[in-house]
Amino acid sequence: MNRKAKYLLGSFAIGCLLTATASASEAAELNIIIEEVPEYDIVRELSKEFTKAHPDITITFDAMPFDAMRDKILTSSLAPSAVYDVIIVDNPWMQQFARAGYLEELDGRIAESQGYDFEDFIEPIRNVGVVDGKIYGVPYYNYALGLIVRQDIFDEKGLTVPSNLEDYVSVVKELTTDGMAGVAMQPQRGYKIMEEWKNWLYATGGEVTDESGNVTIDSPEAAQALNLYIETYKAAAPEGSLNWGFDEALRAVASGRAATMLSYNWMLPTLNKKDGIAGDLAGKFKLYEVPGGKAVLGAWHWSVTANSEQKDAAWQFVSWITSKQVDKQRVIAGGAPMRTSVVSDPEVWEQGFGEEYYKTVLSILEDAAPLATGNSAEEVIEIVGTELSAAVSEQKSVEDALKDAARRVERAQ
Amino acid sequence: MSLRLRLILPLALLLAGIMIYPLAFSGWISLHDYRLTRIDDVRFEGSGNYEFILSDGSFWNALSNTFVFVGGAVTLELVIGLGLALLLQKLVRFQNVARAILLAPMFITPIAVGLMFRFLLNSELGVIPHYLAALGITVDWFGPDLALFSIILIDVWQWTPFMVLMLLAGLEALPRSPFEAARVDGASAWLTFRKLTLPMLQPVIVVAVIIRALDAFKVFEYVYAITRGGPGDATETIQFLIYKTGFRFFRLGEAASMAFVLVTITLALVVALYMSTRRR
Repeated sequence: MNRKAKYLLGSFAIGCLLTATASASEAAELNIIIEEVPEYDIVRELSKEFTKAHPDITITFDAMPFDAMRDKILTSSLAPSAVYDVIIVDNPWMQQFARAGYLEELDGRIAESQGYDFEDFIEPIRNVGVVDGKIYGVPYYNYALGLIVRQDIFDEKGLTVPSNLEDYVSVVKELTTDGMAGVAMQPQRGYKIMEEWKNWLYATGGEVTDESGNVTIDSPEAAQALNLYIETYKAAAPEGSLNWGFDEALRAVASGRAATMLSYNWMLPTLNKKDGIAGDLAGKFKLYEVPGGKAVLGAWHWSVTANSEQKDAAWQFVSWITSKQVDKQRVIAGGAPMRTSVVSDPEVWEQGFGEEYYKTVLSILEDAAPLATGNSAEEVIEIVGTELSAAVSEQKSVEDALKDAARRVERAQ
Repeated sequence: MSLRLRLILPLALLLAGIMIYPLAFSGWISLHDYRLTRIDDVRFEGSGNYEFILSDGSFWNALSNTFVFVGGAVTLELVIGLGLALLLQKLVRFQNVARAILLAPMFITPIAVGLMFRFLLNSELGVIPHYLAALGITVDWFGPDLALFSIILIDVWQWTPFMVLMLLAGLEALPRSPFEAARVDGASAWLTFRKLTLPMLQPVIVVAVIIRALDAFKVFEYVYAITRGGPGDATETIQFLIYKTGFRFFRLGEAASMAFVLVTITLALVVALYMSTRRR
């Protein structure tokens, strides 16, 4: 063996050794808790690409229903070493979890990740992950609300889809006949009624608290929104739907027994899917901004747990799945948009659900605000949602329900 | 240490570990502002949690809903259970088959029963409202007026078999001679039932009612699966409120104090019921 060959062989051996050492030090097993929804199916499929490119990182998804997730995240976060390295965080939990010290601050990692472009995430969604000026979560998917209507009925009756609340109320009343409700509502106590009614509250210019944190849920705007909501329920919602949530309202619209509903923006492709839940009605649904324009924003974020022992690998995965390129693939596959560049990409329009849909989604997302924020967001939702339900079911007057809601929200904060 | 004490010691230690320690710890929690998201900042509250819950309308509403539920469910279960037990006792053929069918609901987990009835009675998804609507009858089973009653009916469906089981065993254990004497004396069936069966069966009835009532106080699954306490707070039971306060809002101090008040009330009721039967 000549000198050159020996040199090459030696270099190769050292190279192999270094690679092996590097792999050993980078090898990681990531445990990820995730909600079992269609978005998860897309993420799971895409993640195969990640594990192919990073054979040293093993990913285990622990997928479960929403109700079970928060308890598991809590116990994992209270433990000295984490069960989960990556968690998804619903927007009402974000501030509570960040301030409780469960989440890793991501500013430094985001700054070091070349081409990540955090500013590309649509602003209201991006802001949900920012707590006290630091980033604790990067967007995973949104569930902002839009107005879904049966366009064929509107066209047939020569009606324009209303853009303000008063017009919406009168239009759904007009659409109500014996076999058709003008609107399928979700007045179920707690989260559902709060999620729906808060769009009405935005439309009348109200909020639960003002910018200084003072409780304003007993304002005249809130009373107006609640009175209109009750009036609409009585006049245009299906009889006996006082306890309806998402499933029931969706079914009523999909089966042609209701003409409109306020629902998650990504329900439109589901309703319009051929051989989907709407049967022959597929293709007749259209998405608009909620009456009044400003919508309730729901958003899930990816976070790395503060007690994880695999933070580098965890961020590697999170930054990969939320990167521009992968996010584009996720949205084309049917995922809910998060990035301006992706939602404005003609390739996405073409391969996804069309330009008009994505443009509407973008305008919904740009003018949306979270359902509730703060350390007690979950409790605030429950408190207000209970009082709203009491008012709609006539157990309390509108004034008493809002007054009680204000008193309880003040205590919870 | 005597032999008896030494033999009892392992059991005493085990009980202390699995019962007394958690009970004492939750007692300690109930005196503190103890939140899972603020575990480093636990503050002594003294009787603060108790004062708050006793002055809070939600607590009394949940307690009142629970009492209505327990009273309604156990009474219906006792009446229907006794009727079915009397019928089953007289059944000669297919007795075992009838008993097996009757006992089936008891073996289904309550959360599954809750989900099952949610889909049976739901005004949009349910089979029962669908057929009732065909007859021109519209009933909102989970509306504000009926929701608690519907949940009582679900409990009755699931747990009446337990009453049947207990009362049938009691009936079969009764001595025959007083009944034969009554028949010879020409006593009517109703008189025999009122003057013989009921008084002789009373100890079994009391035990069955106590066991069922204690179990009914724990109602949670039906509420969780169907109404989540609504509409308004029409079906919010005390167990659901405790779960919500402790595990949704993470206020464990408040939740523990509610649990202690509930334990005190149920203990007082059980002792009162037991003493009243002893006195007779």
